[in-house]
Amino acid sequence: MSVPLLRADLHNHSCLSPCGSLDLSPAVLARRARERGLDLVALTDHNSARNAPAFRESARREGLAALYGVEATCAEEAHILVLFAGVEEALDFSEFLKGHLPRLPYDPRIMGDQAVVDAEDNILDLPELFLGAALDLGWDEVCREADRRGALVIPAHIDRPAFGALAQLGFLPEGPYAAVEALRPQVRGEARGYPVVSGSDAHYPEHVGRRPFTVDLPEGWREPDGIVRLEILREALAAGRARPYWETAP
Amino acid sequence: MKTSELSSVIPCAPVFDGWAPRDIRGGYTSDLLSDVMSKAKDGFVLITIQAHKNTVAVASMLGLAAVILCNDRPVPEDMVEAARAEGIPLFSTSETQFEVSGRLWAALRGDAP
Repeated sequence: MSVPLLRADLHNHSCLSPCGSLDLSPAVLARRARERGLDLVALTDHNSARNAPAFRESARREGLAALYGVEATCAEEAHILVLFAGVEEALDFSEFLKGHLPRLPYDPRIMGDQAVVDAEDNILDLPELFLGAALDLGWDEVCREADRRGALVIPAHIDRPAFGALAQLGFLPEGPYAAVEALRPQVRGEARGYPVVSGSDAHYPEHVGRRPFTVDLPEGWREPDGIVRLEILREALAAGRARPYWETAP
Repeated sequence: MKTSELSSVIPCAPVFDGWAPRDIRGGYTSDLLSDVMSKAKDGFVLITIQAHKNTVAVASMLGLAAVILCNDRPVPEDMVEAARAEGIPLFSTSETQFEVSGRLWAALRGDAP
């Protein structure tokens, strides 16, 4: 038995990303996502998952299914989405990445604020480590470690001129990808047969829900407590049951 | 000039031995591999800080003569293995891309080191 097609968006930032708007708190992300008719939403700040607890609470409040992770910036300065079903796993991975970030001088006035908040938009912490920097882990190392931890690994916007695999690396290397995220339909051949999804890469409230994809998931894709069964999502992606927004737009 | 002479004009050391010396036909300096793919040519030396396996893939595709890794960047073992398998020599140096480029450019032009 199948549930209605879900509208999913696995690439969203919050006020923790230095390039993200301070107005896009996890609470605002969840509310806008519900208003835009999304069902399954991931929070993927740059190199940190510290807003995942607030997003879990916000998503519950809005009745959304949530995934938690990061958009990792590997040493080649290309972006990779790493997604977990649980907040604790995401925080563990985030802590692992923290040890691989360079100690760069960081000035929020120039590079943007990085706010850890709660589900009521109260600021809990302002990390001093610049989260927009590249890790000292290469593309393959990030993918391997994320895969070892059971995450969904999705190369982000592979066809974007900056920070996408095709521009930074010249091609998409083979990897343990559940899917690849693309911006345009022309990417087909360069995606090398991996399932293609779209994502909003929301940095501002008005970006939320701009490029979701649809996915056909079987009954039981969530645990009774609401946690997403990652393996069911992985199988659906592998079976080609996801459609990027350009194949679904009316 | 051959790849076996690189260490005499640039303070750099081969990361592994056993490769066949090749003629150097030019050089290209970049840390963006898509840019390298569109500009570097067969027989060129790539000067970069991108010490990763994917650099070897690009070097192999283009037929590059050698890769010089600057700023003492640590060279991961899987990169060494890939380069050995492809027969592409890797060199490591503490100098910057700017310094290495200047030295190689002068050497290829025929200036005394």
